[in-house]
Amino acid sequence: MNVNWDLHRVTLVGLVLLVIPPIFFTQGSRTIPRLFTLMAIMAILTLALNIVFGHTDQLFLFTGAIAATGGYTTILLAEYLGVSPWFTMPIAAAIAGLIGALVSFVAARRGLGIIVISILTLALQFSIVELINSFRDITGGSTGLRVTSLTIEPLAALPFLDNQAVLYYTTAALLVALLLLYRYLVNSKYGLAFEMIRQDEDAAESIGVNVAKYKIIAGFIATFAVGLVGPLLAQRTGFLTPTQFSFGQIDVIILIMLIIGGLRTMYGPIVGAVVVVMINEQLREFGAYRLMVFGILLILLFLYFRRGIVPWVTSQAREYGIVERSRELISGS
Amino acid sequence: MVLEDVIGIAALLIDGISRGFLYAILGLGITLVFGMGGILNLSIGVFMVVAILIVAELTGMVPLALAMALAIVLTAALGLGIERTLLKLVYRSEGEERLLLGIFVTLGLALAMEGAIALNWSGPYSVHLEPPSWEIAGTFIRGRSLVVIGLALIVLFGMYLFFSRTKVGLATRTIMQDETGARLCGINIDRMRAGIWTLSIAIAAFGGLLWGISSSADVGNTFALTTIAIVVAIVGGVTSIVGVVVAGVVLGVISTFLTAYGSTYLASISLFAIAIIVLLVKPEGFQ
Repeated sequence: MNVNWDLHRVTLVGLVLLVIPPIFFTQGSRTIPRLFTLMAIMAILTLALNIVFGHTDQLFLFTGAIAATGGYTTILLAEYLGVSPWFTMPIAAAIAGLIGALVSFVAARRGLGIIVISILTLALQFSIVELINSFRDITGGSTGLRVTSLTIEPLAALPFLDNQAVLYYTTAALLVALLLLYRYLVNSKYGLAFEMIRQDEDAAESIGVNVAKYKIIAGFIATFAVGLVGPLLAQRTGFLTPTQFSFGQIDVIILIMLIIGGLRTMYGPIVGAVVVVMINEQLREFGAYRLMVFGILLILLFLYFRRGIVPWVTSQAREYGIVERSRELISGS
Repeated sequence: MVLEDVIGIAALLIDGISRGFLYAILGLGITLVFGMGGILNLSIGVFMVVAILIVAELTGMVPLALAMALAIVLTAALGLGIERTLLKLVYRSEGEERLLLGIFVTLGLALAMEGAIALNWSGPYSVHLEPPSWEIAGTFIRGRSLVVIGLALIVLFGMYLFFSRTKVGLATRTIMQDETGARLCGINIDRMRAGIWTLSIAIAAFGGLLWGISSSADVGNTFALTTIAIVVAIVGGVTSIVGVVVAGVVLGVISTFLTAYGSTYLASISLFAIAIIVLLVKPEGFQ
């Protein structure tokens, strides 16, 4: 029996995501569903960073601001047009994606290196957050806006489901969709091009790879995905505030998640998101130490554990022949 | 009426220049270290706050001038300790990898130190030095601004003498231009780096104290200070010491006038916008 492991793993992830609510969610509790929704949202953001930073060396440090762009555009546009935010969500994501594509375009055109891109996007991050703060009349400034409309009432009315579970499933569905897209990208000509560009940009250009095009595509996909989950992040807490999209709240955290899980791996972002959200949860009682722990974690990870959990586990599994053995077990020989 | 306007603008200009010198000092802290070893010090704001906190803790025990001097020395010593342990690990890697590692390690350092500080201190802190202000035709010239200008000028002039007249200063500029060449000339790069890093932390500490004199710094938001330092360094061209001083003064004046006639948000968004434009037009310094 020829088992397509790659696709099976995505199905497995999907199944695990599917059975989390019946197993862990209890009626009326909000903490647990929120925690799992947060993991899924962070996994999407980290996966987006993996595409743009991991595969095309464009270190975007404005994920928070892009998520904020998605969130605020969705909610404000829905209010302005008088429609459901579900309709404005893709529009907002497209705007977010265009910002990312524009940054990638300018960076490729001007030949900006990874450091300049990181500082450029960091400056954009602060500008966008300040911009949101300054338009207090529209955005509610630092007090924020209430967000409660991203629900699907007919679904929430079903037995075993409520608004929390529906939000979780929406996020999980987006995560699976992004995983499939990532899998397609890496295994197609895009993956090849990304790999070439990463190893030697000039060599890739010289044999006819349109470097700018691939970088722009990666930039667009990543920021589109980030823009799409921005409003979900707000729906999760019920509020849209600039602080929840700050550099420290989003960018620093997803960088840690990406490195812990494993750069340029498909499941690293999920593993990283789960691990970091759990660490964060454990540290809740020691709130004051949280920042310190994350700081030390960031230093240690970059100095000593840049390969991440997923590549490490894979190499261990290979060393002990676990994959082959389980494969034999399944095929029954 | 006209006279009052002119004096009002002049008073604002003095505030702007004072803020500008302060910016220049912060930018210098970034530029020196980036020029020397390719490390973008994202933890500079924390060191500024550390200096302010030391003064706050020493207030009442020793005279203010001594407290300030001690704050600079102690903060620099802390910086040296960190250089010898943590940054040494960063310098092991080369080229772009070192740049990236530098960003992440100093970012982690900033978070860790800010977290450690937050265990004991919170809220805004300032240095209580209250020189008299003058009232001219209904407009106040802030004494604090003049003190900041005076102190900053002394230090900036000292820096100028150090880099132009001393052998060590010359060696520093050599490394900033060509690391390999400098090594071939027999310059001990490792020791120079440690020295310049410590100097930059001392400058940051001094900048922190000036900041504490002219306004107050939020202990929980040191990254705001860091971003200003980076913006100034970007606009100044990252590896040019003169450029940073000019950039600092220009940005300080712009931001003061925008704050006065617009809003704080407008001022900070404009600073970022200028930095973005400069990065796009002239990204060479960072490559």
